[in-house]
Amino acid sequence: MLEMKGIDKRFGAVVALNKASLTVKEGEVMALAGSNGSGKSTMVKVLAGLVAPNAGEILIDGEKKIIHSGTDSTREGIATAFQDLSLIPTMSVKDNILLGCEIVTKSGMVDEKESRRLVQELLDRFHIDCDPDDYVQTLMPSTQSMLEVAKAVFRKPKILLLDEVTASLHYDEIATLFDIMRELKNEGVSMVYVTHRMNEIFEICDSITIMRSSETVTSGPVSDFTLDDIIFYMTGARPKHSEAKTAAAEDQDDREVVVEVKNISVYPKVKDISMKAYKGEIVGIGGLEGQGQPEVIRSILGAVRPQSGSICYMGKDVRFKDPAAGVKAGIGFISGDRSKEAVFDIRTITENIFAGNSAKESLFAYLSAKKVRKFSEDAVKKYNIKIGKLKDPASSLSGGNQQKLVVARWIAMNPNLLLLDDPTKGVDIHSRQEIHDILRECAANGMTVIIAASDTDELLNISDRVYVFYEGKVAAELSGEFKTSEHLVSAMMGVKEKVQEAE
Amino acid sequence: MPSKNMTFEPNANKDFFSKLNLFVQTHTALMAVIIAAILYIITIIINPKGMNTVAIGNIILLTVILSIPAAGQTMVLISGGMDFSVGAIMSATAVLTTYTMKGENGHFLTVLIISLAIGAFVGFLNGVCCVKIGLPAMIVTMAISNIVTRMQYILTQGVLSGKASPLFSSTVKFKLFGVVPHIVVYALIIWPIVFYLLKRSRFGKQLYMVGNNANAARLNGVRVTKIQVLSYVFSGMLAAFAGMLGAAYMSTARCQIFDDYAYQSLIAVIIGGTTFAGGSGSYEGSIAGSLVMILLSNLLTTLNPTQPVRNVLNAAILILLLVLYNRGKAVRQ
Repeated sequence: MLEMKGIDKRFGAVVALNKASLTVKEGEVMALAGSNGSGKSTMVKVLAGLVAPNAGEILIDGEKKIIHSGTDSTREGIATAFQDLSLIPTMSVKDNILLGCEIVTKSGMVDEKESRRLVQELLDRFHIDCDPDDYVQTLMPSTQSMLEVAKAVFRKPKILLLDEVTASLHYDEIATLFDIMRELKNEGVSMVYVTHRMNEIFEICDSITIMRSSETVTSGPVSDFTLDDIIFYMTGARPKHSEAKTAAAEDQDDREVVVEVKNISVYPKVKDISMKAYKGEIVGIGGLEGQGQPEVIRSILGAVRPQSGSICYMGKDVRFKDPAAGVKAGIGFISGDRSKEAVFDIRTITENIFAGNSAKESLFAYLSAKKVRKFSEDAVKKYNIKIGKLKDPASSLSGGNQQKLVVARWIAMNPNLLLLDDPTKGVDIHSRQEIHDILRECAANGMTVIIAASDTDELLNISDRVYVFYEGKVAAELSGEFKTSEHLVSAMMGVKEKVQEAE
Repeated sequence: MPSKNMTFEPNANKDFFSKLNLFVQTHTALMAVIIAAILYIITIIINPKGMNTVAIGNIILLTVILSIPAAGQTMVLISGGMDFSVGAIMSATAVLTTYTMKGENGHFLTVLIISLAIGAFVGFLNGVCCVKIGLPAMIVTMAISNIVTRMQYILTQGVLSGKASPLFSSTVKFKLFGVVPHIVVYALIIWPIVFYLLKRSRFGKQLYMVGNNANAARLNGVRVTKIQVLSYVFSGMLAAFAGMLGAAYMSTARCQIFDDYAYQSLIAVIIGGTTFAGGSGSYEGSIAGSLVMILLSNLLTTLNPTQPVRNVLNAAILILLLVLYNRGKAVRQ
């Protein structure tokens, strides 16, 4: 039915897909599994017409098809439910569903009555409890996800792509979704199902394709795989089912606790998170995307206000009213989302490096140009940032060097606690290594570092201790001999194996 | 997502233009000076008698006056906003100045304090509405200017009243060696303060950060709202002072006398290389831009067309300048 062969995709120097392939038969639900960044979503986006592959071909019913745009994709009978939703928040439920396939009468007018009937029918089928005239932005996140799927199904596709649609769904909604998927299967619709939840694969899927670091590693009927097999193909190592115990906590007791997060919740992602970090320690936060990592980090900084729980920093309960207060208290924040949250792209390299200092001290005091220049010259030299001139805009640098710029900005301020949210996203391996070295050196000098990372290898490599988040809660705390890829991945997938939650 | 492949065409001609473009973008202040020079040369060619000390003195005087509201406008634009109320504030303080001074000396300090307070208050109001409440800057500052304008009529009943004090007028109008007007002394006070704020203080650094990437600035520990509101407050105060100087220059002031300065200052700042998008720009550019505006109006006076033709020409030239600048920006991105 659907076949993708030898798909290559590069974003600049980053390889997103390397000769990836997959095959789906008619009326089959195929699971597409793999850890973060393995290329699953890129595969889906290629089919949806959002990503133009550099090489490879797509065959539908044995015929070679070219998909250049979303329109091409729709014409081939493909419908997609995206993880980050394709709904327009300021339009009504009805208009969103009918967008692009409006029902018209013979005279070419929109058939209001028929539209309403069909939409209501669809909502009933999906057990979505809302009015067709409700605005999408007023709906719960889970209802929106359900609506996203309903919208795709409404298009009566031959091939339905579901990209992590269950991430924010509740149990009953998942059950409804699975019933509908079974109905569609009987009608002969082929489905590609991307999920991180292992139990769902065994429940609904017929076959599975596993990807690891941009390549397709294996595929076959789900019945040929055990859970351990799947994790093996995803990570390259078999999980050891050993009893995990609290690891080497004794020498930590007399260390100073720099920050302690107690039972915080941030609607809707974070439900109940507690964690602490000691002086001079690098604490990792792992988990699939969207399990509450960014929210927790921003709560500590003061950029997000938690609904409940408390944060104890340097022995005092704090509730920073904004990041400025957090920064004043000696906290630094490095975001991996460079363009949105870190880099001032049209400002000079000097200004970017000096930005931490600019934000911190008195507003109208005299700044000598020489001092500012020296500050940035030193940072450029020390952290080996490859630049043209200090006066060039930050946008003239490569991604890796831009990130080093941001890292240098904060390290030079010597914060007491440094928070990093996926700081090496899209950063080349060499710069990544350099950033790790800088962080290690700082920790050795007594800085406390909390780092969230989507890359599991990176997380295991850099951190002394890893908290794994799953559905807004701490699923595991890994340290010592239990800080392994297998334990990490199973905890990320929410697999309750024998790993105990360490206290 | 479109493919990220870029096509590079090795083309010498294109290369020249891209270099020229780069030069224009990186030397916006210098470009404004060049445009000003061209405008002046054209004026002199058309009317050689135009090159006299009185005319040059007036050009300096008017440029200085325009450069003061342009300073505030520069700050606001850099931080990502826009301030249409500078004209109304100038008119209001001009009216207040003549109304209070009544042609007598000795009221300067009173007028200065009241004017600055009014400017700061109106600026604060602008800031709160635009930044804290998040209304569109263009609409808010226009609506607030309307209020400020009506206040002038309430104060004066629309009647021309009072006169700037002779001493104050002389500090603005009298010319050193018959060329350099005394107002230059005010420029020598105001300009360094503005340069200090923009280039040698963390306020300036934060202003650029906020305008370039407000979200990054916030996460970096900048109080974004405070910085943006402050930019409006400074803009209001600078406009208030400019209004006083304007009153001294004109001696008498009717309501709405300086309303034009809202557009004039905005365009001067943009010609000087500050962008609507925020995050970039310089005060030297704005001063040069003010000079361009004054010389353009000078040129049109020399041509002496009828008023409607004059307006059409004025608008056409400005649109031409703005298009040229925007092209430069589009190529870079």
